[in-house]
Amino acid sequence: MEREILIEPVTRIEGHAKITVILDRDGNVSDARFHVTELRGFEKFCEGRTLWEMPSLTARICGICPVSHILASAKAGDAILAVAIPEAAELLRRLMNLGQLVQSHALSFFYLSAPDLLLGWDADPEGRNVLGLAGKEPELVRAGIRLRAFGQGVIDRLGGKRIHPAWAVPGGVNRPLSKDDRAWMLENIPEAKGTILKTLDLFKSAFDATARSALGEIPTMYMGLVGESGEWEHYSGYLRIVGPEGEIVVDRYDPAGYREVIAEASEEWTYLKFPFYRPLGYPDGVYRVGPLGRVNACDRFGTPLADAELEEFRGKTDRRSGRTIDYHYARLIEILAAIERMERLLSDERILSPHVRAEAGVNRTEGVGVHEAPRGTLFHRYVVDENGLIEEAEFIVSTGHNNLAMNATVREIARSYISEGKVTEGILNRIEGGIRAYDPCLSCSVHAIGQMPLRVDIVGPDGELVRRIVRDSQ
Amino acid sequence: MQLVIGIGNRIRQDDGIGPLLVESLERSEGVEAIAVHQLTPELAERLGRAGRVLFVDASIEEGSVSLDRVDPAEPRGLGHSLSPSGLLFLTEKLYGGAPEGWALSIPGTSFGLGEELSDQAQSRLPEARALIGAWLKEGEGSDG
Repeated sequence: MEREILIEPVTRIEGHAKITVILDRDGNVSDARFHVTELRGFEKFCEGRTLWEMPSLTARICGICPVSHILASAKAGDAILAVAIPEAAELLRRLMNLGQLVQSHALSFFYLSAPDLLLGWDADPEGRNVLGLAGKEPELVRAGIRLRAFGQGVIDRLGGKRIHPAWAVPGGVNRPLSKDDRAWMLENIPEAKGTILKTLDLFKSAFDATARSALGEIPTMYMGLVGESGEWEHYSGYLRIVGPEGEIVVDRYDPAGYREVIAEASEEWTYLKFPFYRPLGYPDGVYRVGPLGRVNACDRFGTPLADAELEEFRGKTDRRSGRTIDYHYARLIEILAAIERMERLLSDERILSPHVRAEAGVNRTEGVGVHEAPRGTLFHRYVVDENGLIEEAEFIVSTGHNNLAMNATVREIARSYISEGKVTEGILNRIEGGIRAYDPCLSCSVHAIGQMPLRVDIVGPDGELVRRIVRDSQ
Repeated sequence: MQLVIGIGNRIRQDDGIGPLLVESLERSEGVEAIAVHQLTPELAERLGRAGRVLFVDASIEEGSVSLDRVDPAEPRGLGHSLSPSGLLFLTEKLYGGAPEGWALSIPGTSFGLGEELSDQAQSRLPEARALIGAWLKEGEGSDG
């Protein structure tokens, strides 16, 4: 008889989700599904709003990633105005995106995932959180808190506030950087760099190659933006997709033409769509984005410390890591790269220029804004009328790109740890951990809101509920 | 240092009363006042430097404005945000001690979309302001 195991909701990710494990008649895993159970429909209710409202409006999609939506939206606006934004505006937008990357990755690693990684997958769920970690590794948690606060401080000082700064606008940004704020950022960089280097050492000493297989390995393609010479990029550049062996699949591709490369499929059991690589079709066109996607897609970072880490991460092979746990490793390397890039940007005197905004009217009726959000490549596409009113809006968000891969990860872990219908807490933790490695933001991907408890159901081949395990988040 | 933290969302009507009260506080030496949507772990660092902390938040409970002591307590499970007692607990763990904690709860009745407070919440503002003023006066000279 086929049965189904459902984990709902998954804890310590952004939004609502549940996991179903479907068992065959022998009690072995036949399939696993990561369901996203909320829908808010942002694309629809943006219709009729003005282009200039879109950065502030789409920022409200998420309290974790507002900066990412603001920047993608402003870039789509730039394309519709058909303007080249001032040099300082681009430098400042880059700086804010790096601040966002640091704060978001630090939140994901230190608050949400480090308890699993450093206290152990099988530690008591009650204490397997940042408070439990604070008892065991207070210095690490203190440093992580300050690192996240640094990223937030950069956003705060640029945008005036850290959650929904109405700062990036079509044509540029609405205020320049002050000398005092630049000085504050530069003063804090050495500590931030020291923290991430120590954390990388801690991670590498705790997770050798064997331990890094704990959440399984799936060979997929990897996507990210890269610069002119194949270096890691986060704000502009070209779309690149590489295969599991590091082979180039797509390169030097203008991201504005993403619809030729990426299509989306839907399933009736989830609100989260399934983007796929169009030439391979659905569901074979699996690729991954975010920290592991970008680190695997690029040739180098272009900054010394991050390049040294990349060399160590990649070893002597071109083969790309498909280990899900390496999302955490890649996330830490990206924090280091972001801090090095921030230092470089802040040392450029042009960043203090007061000329930060280009004024223009509607010159095109369609525009695409693409950049790398912490969780992966973010696309905003708008179609407007001659007055700049939105007629059509499409968002392909980072978490969505990883949907096929997250399902494959859950399936692989489930198959490794569940047989004959037997389930233990440790197994559930690993399935959850597999999802958490991607740091999915469901607030963004389906624009869901709310808290995240945990539920697991086991359902039979005919849809009957065999077992349900519930864990509250708070 | 005395720290006042207003908790809530200014575009969810009465939920915004904490940030509203904090933003209208007159700046004075030895007092830090911040408005947040929710209590997050990084606030522990600020609490670690404070001698006293007052959490100002809307309440969904019926009743009157209340000012109560809050002690550190380990929360059961953990989401993204912390309760005042949970944040005090984290501060204690990380920095070896927590400030004297207090919570000012102001009952609200409307938590829909909008920046306007309900009439009931509006009517409670003077009392809440007076309690914050008295709390600050009582702790003058507090270090941390």
